[in-house]
Amino acid sequence: MNISMKDMQTRTQANVLQGPLGWGLLVAAGVVLLASLAFALIQLMTSGHTSFNTSSTLPWGQPIATYLYFALASSGLGLIASLPLVFGFKQYYPVAKRCIFLAFIVLISGMAVLALELGNVFRMLWAIPLNLQVQSAMFWMGVFYALDLLFLLWKFSKLQGGEWDSKTAKQVGIASFIGVLLASGNLALIFGMMSMRPFWFDALLPIYFYFTGVTSGVAALVFFTYLAHGFQRERMPPALQALLTGALPKLFAALIGGTLLFIAVRAITGLYSNNPEINLVWTGYLFASPLYNASLLLGLVLPFVVMLSASLRNRAGVQVLVACLVFLGLFAERFYFVVGGQVVPLFHGTWQPGLISYTPSATEWSLTFVGISLCFVLYLLGEKFLNLGDMPRHMAEAPAGAQANTA
Amino acid sequence: MAKWGMVIDLDKCTGCQACTTACSMENNTLPGESWQDVLFYHEGEYPSAQMKWLPRPCMQCENPSCVHVCPTRATYKDPDAGGIVFVDWNKCIGCKYCMIACPYGVRFYADEKPLIEPDIREAYPSDNGQLWSPPYQNPEEDWQRGIGIQPPGVVSKCTFCYHKVKHAPEGVVDLDEDNPEVKEYVPACVRTCAPKARYFGDLDNPESQVNLLIGDRHGVRLKDHTGNRPQVYYLGAGASVPAFTPADREHDA
Repeated sequence: MNISMKDMQTRTQANVLQGPLGWGLLVAAGVVLLASLAFALIQLMTSGHTSFNTSSTLPWGQPIATYLYFALASSGLGLIASLPLVFGFKQYYPVAKRCIFLAFIVLISGMAVLALELGNVFRMLWAIPLNLQVQSAMFWMGVFYALDLLFLLWKFSKLQGGEWDSKTAKQVGIASFIGVLLASGNLALIFGMMSMRPFWFDALLPIYFYFTGVTSGVAALVFFTYLAHGFQRERMPPALQALLTGALPKLFAALIGGTLLFIAVRAITGLYSNNPEINLVWTGYLFASPLYNASLLLGLVLPFVVMLSASLRNRAGVQVLVACLVFLGLFAERFYFVVGGQVVPLFHGTWQPGLISYTPSATEWSLTFVGISLCFVLYLLGEKFLNLGDMPRHMAEAPAGAQANTA
Repeated sequence: MAKWGMVIDLDKCTGCQACTTACSMENNTLPGESWQDVLFYHEGEYPSAQMKWLPRPCMQCENPSCVHVCPTRATYKDPDAGGIVFVDWNKCIGCKYCMIACPYGVRFYADEKPLIEPDIREAYPSDNGQLWSPPYQNPEEDWQRGIGIQPPGVVSKCTFCYHKVKHAPEGVVDLDEDNPEVKEYVPACVRTCAPKARYFGDLDNPESQVNLLIGDRHGVRLKDHTGNRPQVYYLGAGASVPAFTPADREHDA
């Protein structure tokens, strides 16, 4: 009994975040979190939502885009974690635990931002479950993301206990995989079922969200994995090094390419459409914005081109840079997606002769920083106390050459 | 129970905005929170450009997409109140999804940047949980139906002046401001309409004035392709909304 318990225990994988660097970053992230949260709360308590730049003609702004980014990145991380845990892609084991933990905290951070955006957040806790409006996609968003969180936590506790391949761990892994698909697919339908918002109205939006969600998830995974090792690959265990020079960069390149393909087909059909609520969004808002064009070129096209080169995509510095660029590029995509569905006025001829303009306010930016800094704080705590770099024992103890061959 | 409907005759409407003013006074709405307003458009190019206008209340749809999307049933269609769509301010969480789903743009989240300065909410700050408390306030209040001055963080909309309509005697088919028996129960925008371009009555009664007008003069509903089936019908030339064209692009056309 004692022996089996010992086998179940996780072993600490040393990384730089467990030392003074981790504490330093934790303090810095904590300060940003407290400052941004304090600013947001003061603004919300003194000015309410008048401190937002949203309006009744454009009700969903940057906080919704931030939530969307985080929720989909979380789903993407959950889907990557299912590669080894559900589908048996063993070379991904070294990142599985970090993936699940990141998926959990990224979702929590997104939900925190959404909570601060709502008009009456605490009312939600009883009003949604008691009224059971099953026709509403937003009702199901609550159900599926709550289940998603639960399964992520459960799955993490299994890995924390050293159960990588047990029957229960597999079952929880499958449940979590389905939960992720339901949650992010349903999140897409919140937009995709709105026939009165033609820029969003798209039956294939769940596929677009899955794909782009995984891309942002891989970007987060690459960045945080390198951060944990001080951006030095030689400090990583051999199995992780093998993954980061083998399967993962190839997957990352393919995902960025697929994301670009999705954007391209949406843009082509949008530009071809005579419907001003689609066509004008592309011509008068998205492609008319230097910021959108820059985010598309620098945040997705450039990373894709760089990642096409086998020698470049295996470099640590390039991977981190690409992860950061993709993070910014996809954040911009989420922002322009959310706002783009609303910029053509529904009914406001005289009062709104042009497209509705919107720039996030300081309060709305502060909510975005709340999300990012909360994510960092929780992640650093996780690295410090939860041994996120853990992997199955046979993999951790295998020689470097053997890992490279399996990757 | 009646199914209340409104008919707006665009051949009679002069775009005077009396309805807009009456609505905002009746319901104490904020500047910009126009539960009922008149939208102006122009179509065509000089010298054959046309000025058009469209009065626009909440359509009180038969199949309202705002009701389907609301995660808390805060917005609901009440068949016992003539099929009017209400927002329960005790249940609304302020997610604004109904505003996204409404094809007609007739829902308001009044806790937002003021349309005019100084902010009237600061001039008349709230003293009872409302968003603001003006010196005159309609004594009618029913937060379960979104009647009164809303609290912060909820969505508001036109109620067809249900606080007036509900007092109409049972079985009344037409709420006509020319009939002294019922004129007090007529929605504010209908009662104040100087050219009598608005009619209000029971869509379920084939003899009602609204049904006769819709039948005789080919009443149309706006954005019917969305399937929302409004209980507000338009008559006359120009009973449609032109596709949106930004002002600076019209000159390129």
